[in-house]
Amino acid sequence: MIRASGISKWYGPVRALHNVSFEIPRGQIVGLLGPNGAGKTTTIRIATGFLPPTSGSLSINGHDTVEDSIAARRCIGYLPDTAPLYPEMGVRAYLDYRGRLYGLARQARRAAAERVIDRCALGPVRDRRIGQLSKGYRQRVGLAAAMLHDPPVLILDEPVSGLDPGQILEVRTLIRELSEDRTVLVSSHILSEVELTCDRVIIIAAGTIRADGTPEDLLDALRADAPYVAEVRAGDLAGEEVASILRATPGVAGVMVSPVADAPGYVRCLVTPNRGAGDLREPLAAALAGVGGGGLLVRELRRERPTLEQFFLTVTGEGAQAQGAGAAVAEAAA
Amino acid sequence: MMRLWAVASREYASFFRTPLGWVVIALFLALSGVFFSSRVLQPGEPATLRPFFNIWWGLLLVVAPAISMRLFSDELRTGTIEPLMTAPLSEATVVAGKYLAAVMFLVTMLAPSLTYVAVLSSLAPIDPGPVVAGYLGIVLLGMLYLAVGTLASALTSSQTLAFLGTLFAFIILDLATAVAASAMPRPIPEILFAISPNVRIADFAKGVIDTGNIVYFLASSFWFLAVAAVVLQSRRWR
Repeated sequence: MIRASGISKWYGPVRALHNVSFEIPRGQIVGLLGPNGAGKTTTIRIATGFLPPTSGSLSINGHDTVEDSIAARRCIGYLPDTAPLYPEMGVRAYLDYRGRLYGLARQARRAAAERVIDRCALGPVRDRRIGQLSKGYRQRVGLAAAMLHDPPVLILDEPVSGLDPGQILEVRTLIRELSEDRTVLVSSHILSEVELTCDRVIIIAAGTIRADGTPEDLLDALRADAPYVAEVRAGDLAGEEVASILRATPGVAGVMVSPVADAPGYVRCLVTPNRGAGDLREPLAAALAGVGGGGLLVRELRRERPTLEQFFLTVTGEGAQAQGAGAAVAEAAA
Repeated sequence: MMRLWAVASREYASFFRTPLGWVVIALFLALSGVFFSSRVLQPGEPATLRPFFNIWWGLLLVVAPAISMRLFSDELRTGTIEPLMTAPLSEATVVAGKYLAAVMFLVTMLAPSLTYVAVLSSLAPIDPGPVVAGYLGIVLLGMLYLAVGTLASALTSSQTLAFLGTLFAFIILDLATAVAASAMPRPIPEILFAISPNVRIADFAKGVIDTGNIVYFLASSFWFLAVAAVVLQSRRWR
């Protein structure tokens, strides 16, 4: 269990974190997401006891990371970003060394090393020097070292960076398995990764928490404001006339119409709903069907499906620079 | 204790897993060997290692910073300091472990030179007193150099800077004592002589083991190591 209460961190005059609070219970995998410089690594370093917070406190299984640092550190398995290792050491020698740092007796060290070598699929390289290993293997050696003392809390900074798709799948499964009886905090830049692996996502930007919830919750919040896209054969009507028809539909907040480049005669309508308007697909289709005698031909009518990526861009304030649908969603949500 | 030994043994082994350890030992023994055969092992000379020890002090001034420079600088540079300092062990344990490894390496480096003692004693009877005192002095001087080097290494992620910082600190102190002291008003010369390791090491070469000198080397080494531990800890207040 990780509990952060109002942690702030200043590096000299620069504020890296401001009043960050969260609680991660046992058995939960939480993804920490944020753009570069958002405060992810600072949060992780405070959680691992590597840095103290300027104010506020963070505890690991009830042990304060500053007041009771050693006890807190004993509960944590930590994989830092880029998995720093000693290149001159062998894989087994390194795991043995880490075991000794955590005070494991010789028999326990051997057993633990065998267990993590097996779980992280390090068998083929167990006797190799770390410096000779590929980035993927090095990452897994770091992960193995983090799991070695069977810690109740795992903190993994970018655990899948540098891995190929097959290995990512293995590590994802491994993290899932590990989370059953542990607390896991994973930071990542890869949004789809977090969406697939984590039970809950904390989005952090400019040192503050912008969103905290399950990926589904976050998407639901966004889905409520998601726009509709309709491609309509306008025929003799001008684009603006189509827009006014749609605008007259109850629940519609705004309509933008643009020609479709590859289909002359068609217009694309981007319909922004009022908050809480519910599903407008049917009223929109009915409105278009009621035009003139036979109605307008609709070749597409769909609701934009928000992705975590759009949500991320929206809440971190980077939506303005985003292209395409992301920008539209950001505007709609704003 | 187990953790201290874990740090020390990994560090000690890493001297031999990288070229640095072998190069330092090889150069040290080569230079010592040249010196032994050209200055000590001469017909008509007294059977003493005293000139030998004198040269070692100078060699040690270069060799010791080369041993200590990577202790922390390398960890700071590669980022391995992070997994190390998030493991459940104190800064003092890490400093003590690394320092112990450096001292063990120093002793390992000096050990083969005992063959010179054996060679000399096979040619002529030698007085063991000055030899024991000489070796003790070298180890104590090395311990002080390594302690200052450990501190320098904890201050920077650049091994070059750690090496030069240690080297120049002692060169400046030596120059101040040997050259500038006489020109300075009292009590500066007295203070310089009191803190100069060279003045004290000279006693050891004469075969004199003075408790005060031993305490000086051990206490000053301890002081620099304590500062190194505080430097590592300071990360937590910044």
